[in-house]
Amino acid sequence: MNVFRAREVGDDWSEVRAELERAFDMSRAAAQREESFVYVVHHDDLLGRRGAGNAMVATGLLSAARTAAIEGWRKGWTANVVAYDDEADAGLVDAWVERLARDSSGVTGELIRLGPSHIGKALP
Amino acid sequence: MIGLIVVTGAARGIGRAITERLAANPSFTVIGVDLSPELADIDERSIPVQVDLTTDDGVHQVRKAVEDAGLPLLGVVNNAGITRDARLVNLTDDDFVAVLEVNLGAAYRLSTALSDLVADGGSIVNVASRAYLGNFGQFNYSMSKGGIVGLTRALALSLAPQVRVNAIAPGLIGTEMAMAIPEDVLDRMIDSIPLGRMGTPEEIANVVWFLLTPLSSYITGHVMVIGGGRSLS
Repeated sequence: MNVFRAREVGDDWSEVRAELERAFDMSRAAAQREESFVYVVHHDDLLGRRGAGNAMVATGLLSAARTAAIEGWRKGWTANVVAYDDEADAGLVDAWVERLARDSSGVTGELIRLGPSHIGKALP
Repeated sequence: MIGLIVVTGAARGIGRAITERLAANPSFTVIGVDLSPELADIDERSIPVQVDLTTDDGVHQVRKAVEDAGLPLLGVVNNAGITRDARLVNLTDDDFVAVLEVNLGAAYRLSTALSDLVADGGSIVNVASRAYLGNFGQFNYSMSKGGIVGLTRALALSLAPQVRVNAIAPGLIGTEMAMAIPEDVLDRMIDSIPLGRMGTPEEIANVVWFLLTPLSSYITGHVMVIGGGRSLS
């Protein structure tokens, strides 16, 4: 499975860039094999709650997945994002990641948010 | 209030229109920042600073220009951006990093370097792109502009209540960048826009004006898509 789990970064730009480069490397390799991939991020980072560094990584990945989804659709591979919060069940997170990483999931360019912290908040 | 506004990518296109819109008001002095020598033609009331914002030295020079100007810093517009388009499968390491550094890294460095200088009631406007919602052949650009959205939200939380931070996400705008698109492709893109035309740099400048001034005094952390309805069609 092609899964990229965003690591926490500090507010140093070099850490942010390194994390996004790591995601790019995984994504390009998967796309070249015409395989689906999934990014996993913390939901708080989509709304900027845990600092600028983590926010830039999470929202950068979400936008990248949307673009990759457009490019992969006709080729049969998908790109999606799973966001979890501190109340999300880890087993459910893994189950969603596995489901979305399957080429036949039929879901692409989507953000799946697990846990309650997104309810009533801004759409990323 | 009388004071300074820093505008990056000020030499051309949207940045130039923003600079001219702001400089037309005697309350504002614009510090126009760009790598391009075309910056020399900037509005005569504005202060040109020709630097590379992907370097620490470039960012320090902008901060020094703000301090030397002796006026309160009322706003920052992070507009500088480039494209290096390719499908993900063909995207090179160099093109990935170049776009990330200019579009996201420079905005982050400059915002961090200037945030303590922005006056209470000031405003930061980050220029993202409608491509943050996804756009074929722009994995790097889309990621960088998505990152701008996250940066905007994080700064909106950390700088509140003194400073507001918002982003705009322009769609197809009649700049040099758009004019480089092959005519048949451009025609198809325009056909997909409900308002039936490209936007103008001046229309973007109007929204930036709104977000910089007290007209938008209760808005922060927001992303405003300016795309003629293209995100719906």
